[in-house]
Amino acid sequence: MRIDPNLVPTILADLQQSQVSLNTALQEVSTGKSVNVPSDNPAAAADMVQNTIETGDVDQYTQNVSSVLSTVQSASSVLSSVVSSLTQAVSLGTEGANGTNSADNLQAIAAQVQGILSSVVSDANTSVAGSYLFGGTGTSTPFVADSASSTGYTYNGTSDSNVVAVGDNLSVQVNVPGSQVFSDPTSNVLGSLSSLVTALKSGTSADIATATSAVDSALNFVGQQQSVYGNAEKQLNSQQTSLQQDTVTLSTQENNLIGVNEATAAAELSQDETDNNAALAAVAKVLPNSLLNYLQPPT
Amino acid sequence: MTRMGGLNTSLSIGLQALDTAQGALTATSNNIANVNTPGYTREVAQISENGENQTGDEVTGGGVTLDGLQSIRDELLNIQIQQQTSLQSSVDTKSSSLQQVQTFFTSSGDDIASGITALSSSLAQLSASSSSTAAQQSVLSSGQSLADAFNTTAQGLTTAQLDADQQVPQTVTQINSLTQHIAQLNTQLGQVPAAEDGGTTQDQLDQLVQQLSGLTGISITQGTDGETITTGNGTPLVIGGQSFNLQTTTGTNGFQQVLDSNGNNITSSIEGGTLGGAIDIRDQVIPGFQSQLNTLATQFATAFNAAQAKGYDSNGNTGSNLFSVPSNTNDAAAGISVAITDPSQVAISSDGSAGSNGNVANLSAALTNTLPSGKTPAGAYASLVFQVGNATSNASTESTAIGQNLTQLTTQQGAVSAVDISEETTNLLRYQAAFEAATRIVSTIQVLNNAALNMGSGTSY
Repeated sequence: MRIDPNLVPTILADLQQSQVSLNTALQEVSTGKSVNVPSDNPAAAADMVQNTIETGDVDQYTQNVSSVLSTVQSASSVLSSVVSSLTQAVSLGTEGANGTNSADNLQAIAAQVQGILSSVVSDANTSVAGSYLFGGTGTSTPFVADSASSTGYTYNGTSDSNVVAVGDNLSVQVNVPGSQVFSDPTSNVLGSLSSLVTALKSGTSADIATATSAVDSALNFVGQQQSVYGNAEKQLNSQQTSLQQDTVTLSTQENNLIGVNEATAAAELSQDETDNNAALAAVAKVLPNSLLNYLQPPT
Repeated sequence: MTRMGGLNTSLSIGLQALDTAQGALTATSNNIANVNTPGYTREVAQISENGENQTGDEVTGGGVTLDGLQSIRDELLNIQIQQQTSLQSSVDTKSSSLQQVQTFFTSSGDDIASGITALSSSLAQLSASSSSTAAQQSVLSSGQSLADAFNTTAQGLTTAQLDADQQVPQTVTQINSLTQHIAQLNTQLGQVPAAEDGGTTQDQLDQLVQQLSGLTGISITQGTDGETITTGNGTPLVIGGQSFNLQTTTGTNGFQQVLDSNGNNITSSIEGGTLGGAIDIRDQVIPGFQSQLNTLATQFATAFNAAQAKGYDSNGNTGSNLFSVPSNTNDAAAGISVAITDPSQVAISSDGSAGSNGNVANLSAALTNTLPSGKTPAGAYASLVFQVGNATSNASTESTAIGQNLTQLTTQQGAVSAVDISEETTNLLRYQAAFEAATRIVSTIQVLNNAALNMGSGTSY
């Protein structure tokens, strides 16, 4: 059977094919990606859409965790300071209630408790980066002195609290409203301190003892509120770990989807180079061949 | 007594041999000359023995005749090659258009996935710092990026569609020019007796028909007056010596429609070739992507605006639409834009108070909740990326497969029709020897004739 004497088209097709493989291998090695356009691997390119979005979210959640963590830690340390103030107030109240104090002593104690009250109010009005830690979702100074109020202070914040997203389905409460921490109807921190000041100034020992016990109960209550922050802190720390794992998982997934194994890619590149060289060498050998090469020119 | 054929018979046989060898040399030299001519099929000298001369009981050979030069071709292979060429150029047209389209769906930082990522991150950031104007501004900016990405992608699809549309009248012009030329060649071939080979005219015709098959799918029948060529669905292009021009006109959808010579719209029935590929891309493939992209833009904007409306902006007003989409869904992706310019209009608050960030969760949820299409915005976009990538990858795979098939067929055709230099060189030597030998016959007979004429003169030897 006669064969096609014209090898050029076939050889050129082979050459082109080998050039295409070589280019693909080069691109994979130079970009470090096996999927540069969707047609390289449509399913992987589609999966990468979700991966990109999640990676962006996880980055932002990680930042949110740090920022919330710092807020929670500030609030927690403020509450610690309130607890120690209240502890001090309780011991001052106990001292004032023991019936051995002179009127001057009591006035002096009252002045100290008044100082503690001011410091607690200042704690309750702490702001971090422009927002009040205990103002609920409000934007004005939470506690303002108000002589008309039974507790001596009016709460201007809200009873709501904001939540911050730290995961796809996880939000943490960043603040406990001041109304809950400092002016709870049964364990009113500011009210009990005000009452203690009043009792110290003008009350009987029994009044002082009652007022002291109210401060003590407020102290316990604040301690409980502090645990809310403690729990939030724990939750945030564990979320931080989980987000770090997510980052690793997403990056591994990305690598599996569109990354290249460098060793394999380098081996493929070298293989394709060899193939290309072989194809070129074949063209050089085949093209000039015909019977003419072996015939003597006519003399 | 019997008499053998005379010297003149031998002389005449010698002359026939000379003619034949010369004719065969012509075929060989023409083959060598056209070794690289596209569409050339090798010619072979058709040599046959003449009838015997019978004189009385004597039978002598009648010499040789050159019947003609026959081009060696396989019409069946030609038809297969034409069909594969139609398929290939159709797929290649689609492939190159899809390559262009898929760059808009490639992760680039400006694509829709990056837009969704930016918006999603900026909302997460807003949840942590809702009172920050910078965080609010970042939501608007990333919303703008997403809208821009929708616009750019829609624009990319439209550009590819318009490019395909432009190919239609260009290709039709080429088709008309080819069919006119083919009709002329058909007329010329009609003058060649049926028994004879069409030779170079047939080569040219085959070459043109193959070019035509690259432009559109065709069907060929051999008739009494030459080849009849129709489109795949039977619209006549060439009947014998007459060609029928296709026409184009702008259709109601603004795209070029193809009409047959009677003015009937045959656009939707055209398949194969550059024309079929361009029409398929323009009328089927790209509109499929566009419709999904527009649905996504509309449904996403609606969902996000609904989330805005659930909350209050920093001024205490009910959240207004953040995205605006054209009411005509067909323009949704191309026309989606951010409707508000003031960052304070992002509906952060759930209760109207300035410090609340309760509605941010609703805004974020608009990105992750399922749309009426049954997919999340990211899911719907990912599905589109898959379809575009898959269509591009399939077109490219198909093109490679057809290419291999075509190479195979071309090799078979080459085995039948291509000029082999070694073979021609061999023939050259054979016919050279035959020609030289024939000249010897003539010169020998001349010497013998002289000898016969001078018999008895006594002077010749």
